[in-house]
Formats: sequence, structure tokens, C-alpha cells
Amino acid sequence: MSFKRYHIPVAPAPNSAPHPHRFNVNVSKVGLASLLIREIFHYRGDMNAVLSRPCMYGVFSGPVGGFAPRADNCVGCLRCTVQYPDMVRVEPNPDRLELGDSYFTPDNVDTVLYEAATGRVPVKGAGYRGRYGGPGWDGMWTDMSEIVRPTRDGIHGREFISTQIDIGEHPAWLRFDEVDDSDGSRWRVIRLPLPMLFDRLPDSLLSGGWEAALLDAAGSLETLAIVPWKALREMSSAPSALVPLVAPADVDQLLEVTWRPRMVEMVGWDAEVFARLRSAWPECVVAVRIPFGDPIDEPLEFGCRTFHLVADYHGRTSSGFVLGAIRHVHDALVERGIREQTTLIGSGGLTAAEHVPKAIIAGLDGVALDTPLMVALQGRFRGECRTAESCHVEMPNVERTWAVQRLVNLMGSWRDQMLEILGAMGLREVRRLRGEVGRAMFQADLEQEAFGEIEGYVHV
Amino acid sequence: MSMSDKDDLLMMAVTDKHTQALRSGFSRWPGRGAPPPAMGDLRWPADLILATWAQAGTGAPPDGSEAHTHGHSEGGFDRLGFKWLPEAAQLEPGSEIDLAIPLNRRPVDPRIEIPVPWYGAGMSYGSVSEQVMLARAMAAEKWGTFTSTGEGGYPDSLLEYKDHVITQVATGMFGVREATLKAARIIEFKYAQGAKPGLGGHLLGDKATVSVAKMRQSVPWVSLFSPFPFHSVYSVEDHRKHVDWAKTINPDALVSIKVSTPTDVDMVAVGSYFAGAHILHIDGSYGGTGAAPEIAKKNIAMPIEFAIPKVHRYLLSEGIRDEITVMASGGIRTAHDIAKAIALGADGVILGTSELVAMGCTRCSNCERGRGCPFGLTTTDPELSLLIDPAWGAERVSNLYSAFAQELSTILRKLGLSKVSELRGRTDLLTYLPHKAGVNHVH
Repeated sequence: MSFKRYHIPVAPAPNSAPHPHRFNVNVSKVGLASLLIREIFHYRGDMNAVLSRPCMYGVFSGPVGGFAPRADNCVGCLRCTVQYPDMVRVEPNPDRLELGDSYFTPDNVDTVLYEAATGRVPVKGAGYRGRYGGPGWDGMWTDMSEIVRPTRDGIHGREFISTQIDIGEHPAWLRFDEVDDSDGSRWRVIRLPLPMLFDRLPDSLLSGGWEAALLDAAGSLETLAIVPWKALREMSSAPSALVPLVAPADVDQLLEVTWRPRMVEMVGWDAEVFARLRSAWPECVVAVRIPFGDPIDEPLEFGCRTFHLVADYHGRTSSGFVLGAIRHVHDALVERGIREQTTLIGSGGLTAAEHVPKAIIAGLDGVALDTPLMVALQGRFRGECRTAESCHVEMPNVERTWAVQRLVNLMGSWRDQMLEILGAMGLREVRRLRGEVGRAMFQADLEQEAFGEIEGYVHV
Repeated sequence: MSMSDKDDLLMMAVTDKHTQALRSGFSRWPGRGAPPPAMGDLRWPADLILATWAQAGTGAPPDGSEAHTHGHSEGGFDRLGFKWLPEAAQLEPGSEIDLAIPLNRRPVDPRIEIPVPWYGAGMSYGSVSEQVMLARAMAAEKWGTFTSTGEGGYPDSLLEYKDHVITQVATGMFGVREATLKAARIIEFKYAQGAKPGLGGHLLGDKATVSVAKMRQSVPWVSLFSPFPFHSVYSVEDHRKHVDWAKTINPDALVSIKVSTPTDVDMVAVGSYFAGAHILHIDGSYGGTGAAPEIAKKNIAMPIEFAIPKVHRYLLSEGIRDEITVMASGGIRTAHDIAKAIALGADGVILGTSELVAMGCTRCSNCERGRGCPFGLTTTDPELSLLIDPAWGAERVSNLYSAFAQELSTILRKLGLSKVSELRGRTDLLTYLPHKAGVNHVH
């Protein structure tokens, strides 16, 4: 058996559709003309000095300089407006406010686009600029260790961190019958090299051929893509990445296909359907897709061990934000003593790289991504994008190879960012992160500990 | 006149043109009524940046405004206020206030006291220009406090200010030389940095200029990694060996240990004490950096406001609080933040970003991009770095110190305290403010 280090082949894939630049730059033409005239006299016609511009990024690099600023080059450093308060005005581009929706914020969209275009980890100077903690994922920090490393090899040790996870069911121990054959307590496990799957696309995109790009990208990444049955009817073979998503009414048709998927996902729990799938395809991992908060007792009793729990695209569940819902179901399985035999995949509200390790800390084995995939492909939300059934996303016309590379890049960037988190903790594999809330710090707890004695503080 | 002379003259003219325009802008913007619309963020709103520019220009806190006291981040220092005494119980305006703190609380080794409860954070040669390092060192000398080299070596021009320069030893050991260790009154071991805890340092290739590479004994234009962690440290005992090593080279130096803020930061603090540190420097996660992954800045390790009381109380419970100086950094922006950090349990604080803002930083986050900072701060580009004249920069930083000292004295007077050391750990003098609706957007 040979060793293969997992590698995601990121490559530049710049935006294909126009994207609103961050800033608008307005220059007073009269003011600029008068400045130039003054400087011509002041510098005695030395045009090198006169035309030296206060921008390093090329905003005034066009043939007529500041008379036609190139706002798409502006990075918002504000040097021009600091130097010339009466002449240059730099302001946020209001068109950016139309990106994303109330949950998937414009800054979040920008970040995902950068990640999809480059495959790189976003790096910036200066400190954190945002809100102090906050609701949802933002009220959680991950831990670090001052001295512990995944390994002392390599530059930081993170080259040796495993992001592999197991999807499926693995009994706590093997049992044998009288002839030393396993009695059916079999391992049904799919090993994925990263804890990220692709979730189904919204209904409005199911006829656009986007599944092919998702499947290609998932195949390239050696992960899985969940695709609704109605988008698969014409398929003659099963890509290794395919996970058919079937409603009970469609199972008859599914079982007629000649190909064999490694995993099937049922829409909602149905004991009869589960039994038929298990019987027809005994090697196949059968997962049930249910909303967070729905009871899982019955599927567990019937032997189902793989769950895809779903929140809406804004991370809302019947019992609050998805972070709490994950912790609840994970803790319940731990309490029952069957967490190790169960796989939890989660979806909904995961829109940034940091959400993935946080969701795993809360208790998931892996995540199935939804809206970030569309944003990576430069899909534009039209209105609020809350559910797969109701959201409308306008997708650009793009080449499939471009789309595949964008998704590969996104995953490359997100995996690398996960390695940063794991490396900082000194963890050597992502499987050890699952449910490790001791590796996290929660704002409510920290505030209570730090500010509990301070007058006016009310514990939330 | 040779071509080279002509080029030099042109560069001087261009530098002068932009320098004058920038300085004019720094003084004009604070008084214009409305800030630049694209300036600022929740941690450093535009009003706070402009108020810092104003303080760096005048040396006094702004009158009639609270913009210079806090940000809009809705948490941490921005949710803390003070329980002022009734006016009659406050100390008289003009009464003497002692802002000094000791940096060595152990019974052995040299006594070093700084007259204000802060010093400058480590910023390496490479992440900032030599001009900026000099400006900070000159201000530190003027105020009798310190600045730190960061991990990038010790330019010869700093030797003149060596009594006020902390030399840093970090995991890459860049620029660490016996001569500079011997020259230092304080040696700082950097285990981690708040903005990128557990990730080590990374100087991008564009910034590793010939002079930076020479200082770091590396190859020009090649990225430099300062790997995390110290590969020789696995335990408090290993930690102790580091301190012993530094004390062997320079027996008179105090040793500072810079760490980040993990869950067990309190245990780290105790470990640092038993390793022999004189100063524990805790750097919170919202601190500054020349370049760091965004995911790290926002998500890894806890903000400093939570770490300070945790460390303070644990050191108290271990009975060693008065044997080690705790300095806090990572988001200290104002004199009010300084007072709040001390009230939460720190002895003093360490300033970084606020000094850069005083010298013109707009917090645009482009420190690492291309040639570096367009204001000549976080760059080693030979042209851009000329935008900061060290004497001008020192005056700006010094003025900010002056404004902070006045404001901090006012805070103490209003709390009825005549010494800053009396404020330490006085959470009973703080109030937790209700949530405010309506905050600025992050651009």
C-alpha cells in the first residue's frame, strides 16, 4: 500500500461575470486642473514631479490620470482623499450592498469569490475589523496551544494534518457467528479526504446542468455531491462522487438503474424505503435527510446510522440557530452511547471557512455545503435565499471547466483554513475535533467569567 | 549633474510633495466635520481614527467629544464604562497623579520603572520601515518607556536608543545576535502573537528586501516563515531554559514572555512565572499584524478583555500576582481602553496599532499588498518609507502619549485614585453598558 498525500489542485480562475468593485472614486476635475497648473509652476515644469500620483494601485494610472479614475483598482487605502480632502472622495460602492442577502453578507460574498478565484487563504494586514463576537458562529472562538503542534516536522506541522473523515456506519465491535463469519454487523464506511460534501442545489437551478460541474468537482476532490433524483434520470453511469437524493415515491425508479452509488440519501425517514435500499444495495451507505430538531429515535432503532441534518440557508432550525442544534443532537447521541457508530452531516448556515471547523467542534462529522457553491460560481441571489425550494439564484453563463476549478479552489482554500485552525490547536486530524467543545470558547461563557462581577452585566 | 543625482532630486521633490500633502490632510481631516465616507470599521470607527490623528497633532485629548474613547464593536472595552465618583468626591483637577509602573516585581534583578503604564509593541524590521522603528524608539526615549524590535533584527540606527528598546527573540530567531541581546534591558521571548495565534509569522517575499534579508541573515525576495512554536520548548522546564539562556548572555536583562490567549492562558501565565519571567505579555486575538489569515484574526483565541481577568485572578489565587508584571495588548486603542485593561487586572498595556494610526494609518488592511503600506508605515519600499520622517513620527507618537497620559490622569481623578497602580483589578469601578443600536458598517 503506497502513501498518497492529499492535495487539492488549486489554480487561478478569475471572476467570469462582472463584479461590483468595492469603492467609487470621485475626483473634482476643476480642482485637479487647478492643482496641476499650480504644481507646474511650483515644480518649474518638472512633469515627473507634477504627475507623481498619490495612488500605488493604479486608480490614476489611465491616460488622463485622475480625470478618469479607475475605481476597480481602488483598495480603499484612502491616501488620495487624505492628501486632497477637497478634491478626492472615496466611498463604498452601493452596488455591493446588493450582493448576497441578509445572512450571506456582501463581505462574505467578496471573501468566497476571492477564495474561489485563487484557492488561497485570505490574508490581510492590520487587526480584526468586525464586530466583537456576535450571534451564531461569531460567538465562538477556537482554542490554540502555545507549545503543542500536530508534529514538529515541516514548517508549521500542518502539512501532516489529516482532514479525512468516515461517512457511514461502523459498529462498535465485530460479532461473529458459529462459522466465524461476521453476522452482518458490517462496516459501511466511505472515507473522504476532507469533511466537506456538496449539497443539493436549489430547485431553481436543477435544470441548468450545474450538477455536472458539482459532480466533476466533487470527483476531483474525492468527496461527494448530493444530487436530487429528478436531475439524474438520464444518467447512464454513476460518478464515484454521486449521492442520489430520493423521495420515497422515487425509490422504485432508483432501484431500476444499472449503476450503483456508494451512498444514497433519503428525503425524510421511511422505514420501508430504508429496508428496501439496504436489502437491494447492502454495500451502500444509506443516509436520511431530515431537518434539525426532528426526532431520530425511530431511524436509530431501525439501524440507520447516517444522518444528514438540515437547517435553512440562514442556519435556522426549529430550535434556534444551527450551532445549538448540532450540539444538541451530538450530545444526545453521546448520551445514548452510539455517537461513535453514527455519522452526522450538517447543512445550512455554513457560509464561511471558519464555520466548518466550528460545526465540527459542535458535533458534526462533516458538512454539506450549499449557498457558498453558488456564490463561488458568481451566482447572484435575487431576494433572500433562505431555502432550496424558495430561493432564486441568477447564475452566469460559464464554462464547465471554469466552474469546476472555482469549486475546487473554494475547497482548497477552506481546507487550508481548516488546517490553520487545527494547526493552532495542535490537532493532527480533523476527526479528533468532532464534538470537542473544550477546543472552543463561547462568548457567553467568557463574558460571564470576565464581566460577571461588573455592575450592569446580565448573563445571556 | 549625473543621472543619479537627478533621480535623487526627483525623489526628494516627489517625497516632499506627498509628505506635505499628507501632513496637511492629517491635520485637516479631524476638523472637517464629516470623516471620509470609506474610512473606519467597527473596532476603529472613522471618528476614532480622526480623533487619534487630532491627538497626535495636538498632544491633548479632544474637547467635547467622546469619539476618542471607544469603538463600535458592541463588546469588550466598547461595552465597559466607568463608575465615576460624584464630582465632590473626585480628586482636584491638577492634582498629582502617578502613572508609573514597575516592570520587575521580583526581589532580584534590576529595577525598571516606566513613567506611563504602556510601552510599544513589537514590530519587526521588514513589517515596518526603519524610519517607523526609529520614530517609535525616539518617542519611547522621550517618555522613558520602551519599544520593541519585533522579530526582524536590530538596525544599527536603534543602538542610540538601546536603553528604550526591547529586543525580541521569536521562533525564527531572525536577526537575533549576542551583541543586541547584551545591549537590551529587556529581552522578549515571543511564543505567539494575538492576531495569528499558533500560526507563526510570515514575511511575504515582496517585503524581504535586500536590507531586510541582510538583517535577518536570509535570502532577498524569499518569503520568510517564523515557524510556530519554539521547537525547543515542550514544557515549563524548557521554557525556563530559554530564560536561563537569555540571562546567561545578559544577566542584567529583564525577561518578558509574550503569549497569546488560549483557554488555559491562566496556566500559561503561571508557567511563565515559574520559568522566571519578569513580564508576562498577553496578546489578545483582536490585535494588530502586518499580515495574517483573516480566519485567524477573527476566530482563534480569545480577545484580551476576557484574558486579563482570567490571568489576574489566577495569579492572585496562586499568591504570585505581585511578583510578575502583566502587560496586555491586542486592541488597546485609547486611554479609556488602557484604564479598562488595568481595571480588569493588567499592570499596563502595550500599544501597536494606535501608534501607527498616530503616524497616519487609516486601517485600510493593505499592509501586506504589493509594495506595502501606501502611507510609508508597514513597508520597506525605499520610496514609500521616506514618507515617514523619524522626527515627525516621533513627535506624533509622543503627542499621542501625552494625550493618553492626560486622559488617563483625568480618568483616575474622576475615580478618586492618585496612582494608576491603585486601579489594577478594580472591576468594581467598571460598569457594563447596555447594547447600543445602530453601528457603522464595515467596508
